[in-house]
Amino acid sequence: MIKIEKRNDVPMALYFFTPFIAIILTILGGGIIFYILGFNPIEALKFYFITPVSNLYGLSELLLKATPLCLIAIGLSFCFKSNNWNIGAEGQLTFGAIVGGGVALLFYNQEGFHILPLVILAGAIGGMIFALIPAILKTYFNTNEILVSLMLVYVSKLLLDYLVVGPWSNPEGFNFPETRQFSDSSRMPLLFEGLRIHAGIFLALGAVMLSWFILYKTYLGFQIKVSGLSLKTAKYAGFKGKTMILVVFMISGACAGLAGVGEITGPIGQLHRMISPDYGFTAIIVAFLGRLNPFGIIFASLVVALTYLGAETAQIFLQIPKYTGQVFQGMILFFLLASDYLLFFKVKNLNLKKNDLRH
Amino acid sequence: MATDLRISNISKIYPGCIANDNVSLKFKSGKIYALLGENGAGKSTLVKILSGVISPDNGEVFLNEKNLKLNSPLDAKKNKIGMVFQHFNLFETLSVFENLSIDATEDNKSLRVRINEIFKKYNFSIDLDVPVLNLSAGQKQKVEIIRCLLRSPKVLIMDEPTSVLTEQETEELFISLKKFCDEGILIIYITHKLKEVLSLCDEVAVMRKGKVVSVSQTQNEKVETLANKMVGQKLAKIKKKINISKNKDEIFKVKHLNFYSDDPFETNLVNLNFSVKKGECLGIAGISGNGQNELFQILSGEIITPDTSIIFRNKEIAKLNPKQRREYLMAFSPEDRISQAAVPELKIYENVALNNFKSSNFFEKGLVNEKKIKEHSKKILSDFSVNTDNVELKSQFLSGGNLQKLILGRELITAPELLICYNPTWGLDVGAINYIHETLIKINDQEKSTILISTDTEELLKLSDRIAVIYKGKLSKIMPSEEVTPEKLGLLMGGGSID
Repeated sequence: MIKIEKRNDVPMALYFFTPFIAIILTILGGGIIFYILGFNPIEALKFYFITPVSNLYGLSELLLKATPLCLIAIGLSFCFKSNNWNIGAEGQLTFGAIVGGGVALLFYNQEGFHILPLVILAGAIGGMIFALIPAILKTYFNTNEILVSLMLVYVSKLLLDYLVVGPWSNPEGFNFPETRQFSDSSRMPLLFEGLRIHAGIFLALGAVMLSWFILYKTYLGFQIKVSGLSLKTAKYAGFKGKTMILVVFMISGACAGLAGVGEITGPIGQLHRMISPDYGFTAIIVAFLGRLNPFGIIFASLVVALTYLGAETAQIFLQIPKYTGQVFQGMILFFLLASDYLLFFKVKNLNLKKNDLRH
Repeated sequence: MATDLRISNISKIYPGCIANDNVSLKFKSGKIYALLGENGAGKSTLVKILSGVISPDNGEVFLNEKNLKLNSPLDAKKNKIGMVFQHFNLFETLSVFENLSIDATEDNKSLRVRINEIFKKYNFSIDLDVPVLNLSAGQKQKVEIIRCLLRSPKVLIMDEPTSVLTEQETEELFISLKKFCDEGILIIYITHKLKEVLSLCDEVAVMRKGKVVSVSQTQNEKVETLANKMVGQKLAKIKKKINISKNKDEIFKVKHLNFYSDDPFETNLVNLNFSVKKGECLGIAGISGNGQNELFQILSGEIITPDTSIIFRNKEIAKLNPKQRREYLMAFSPEDRISQAAVPELKIYENVALNNFKSSNFFEKGLVNEKKIKEHSKKILSDFSVNTDNVELKSQFLSGGNLQKLILGRELITAPELLICYNPTWGLDVGAINYIHETLIKINDQEKSTILISTDTEELLKLSDRIAVIYKGKLSKIMPSEEVTPEKLGLLMGGGSID
């Protein structure tokens, strides 16, 4: 018989090292899958993890994809640290993009330095409002935030669908499901000529610094930490539980909204159906791979962004569908959860013989 | 047939601690043996070895000179060693009979006959067909005992059996145990309650730090001698409290406290009214599960009930949350010190910051003032003799006694006018209990008040000026503690009434 026991003391160093083990296992697992599919695993992994970032353009693409992942994951870390399970960042991203995009469309034929800040702000507020829905329902009506936030993803996606084919579709767009192009004043400034990396990366870095400060240096951060470890203690200490739920959802939604607006004002430049390859969901993996630590999240967002890029390269060079990216993301999460389980629990063999079960 | 149980040179070493250090003991049927020791003395480890739950690193167990291999609880059962644990292993939603038939080898009909025989023999009466969750703690324990008796045990081990029982139930248990003993069952009784040892047992073995320090006849022992052996040092006797609180102002007054819950695992409270005077300790007795949890949470502000009036220092505070109540100089020490009063994963100074009030300046303008919190924590550690001065230590590494000192220190260093504590010495060893009792008495001496919700009658009688009993969510009348005897309390705690 096997018995599972909780480990009392998990060393901090090991706690931050296990994500690396998970990544190594994912690469090994990927190699095995490639081998079974009939590819040379070393070659395939090279196409996947090295080729994409072997030139300047590739590195720029890596940062471009890591930016929204990092932003959303930072926001999610506030929720997850305080035991609030916001699964709907994809919806908050979409709604932020809708609101920000709406403002950008208002100014489609105007120029001016005030426009981009307005668009960004509108995006953040949009995400925030959308995240407030599950938060308010949770605090005042006791609903489950996982279900509500998840279902709202589809609401926002269908709303975007409706807008880009209906009222907001480009009048000169031959009925393509997309809006007008934003004016240059609504676009994120590019950092380098010829590369797609844009100023949105500073938003992500700013969010990292700010979240580190809030989480570790403020009373709000202390309350989040305590609530995440023990809700009973938070109640006993007299923290305002409801206010805190609203605040963490607002932070999380604002970050997702920023990520959305960064995408449409950065590489995309308009609203259409496919503004995000599920960044909002993938960021959940990023948040946990980064141990909900702001600097860990930077690292994790780069790793996971690489799976997006690798999938695209593999599609081109190996003719395998780019959805293998999701296979890799899934494997990362799987191996992380598995190694965490072994980190926090130990398996004991009680050495019971079969016939001992009858007496 | 006489039974003879011998433990020979048993050792069990855990990383960082020797739980059993070369323990040898002899037991013979016809006597009741006490195994006495503080928490962590190694009693539980020894018992777990005897019942096959863990295996020793060294040493052997002999039953009637036969060397036993106890690799699992089933081996213990096969060798007729029965065990009643402190926490019952019963399926709450199954009936008594179903619980008893789970591991029976015979058919239901003959099992029922045998159970009824046992009932008759020992004067038990429990309805076999009600779900276990409807039983009192004493009845549940009887079910566990019957389960052992069905296997006609040679050895019966009782682990802290009276911690959940009323005085009456305890007496009944003792009568049954004596009967079992007369019938030749060897009884090993594990406890840290000295009086029980003296009233029930014939021989007592005292354990300290994994070793057997003394084996003696109980008739040669007194409470003090046993306590000294257990702790290993002379205990300073706590002086009996002098009632100083007559004709003082009422500082805390509760009116119409009602609580209704849909949750079947919570207890409804019905119209509680009481008040506390300055410098007084109000004791609230009761068996756990009679509404103490709910009462504590309402008094601390974790649960806000409508229509209740709580006046503290002439202000209505019934709608305030715990943090706001602290600002009015109330302090709270909940029963669950491990996961409610403190967070095990947090460092000591972070746990100290949980009791944060405006004048502490722990968080200025929303920012953490780590230096201030650490200074404050250092002061608590030294003022309340917690045996570490490292405020960076995670609180999970503190022993129960030190953790409770830290929590009390945190609550008391603000010099509150009223401390509400719930089972403050639960599960602690004698040294820590004494320290905490002294601290609680000191508070009253300084004209500060306490409300002591406790399931330990001895503690209540020692510390309280007035005592009330809570039973099924109702409060008895409040009695001056001189008029209260343990028997009286037991009667009220069991739902009886006195006139």
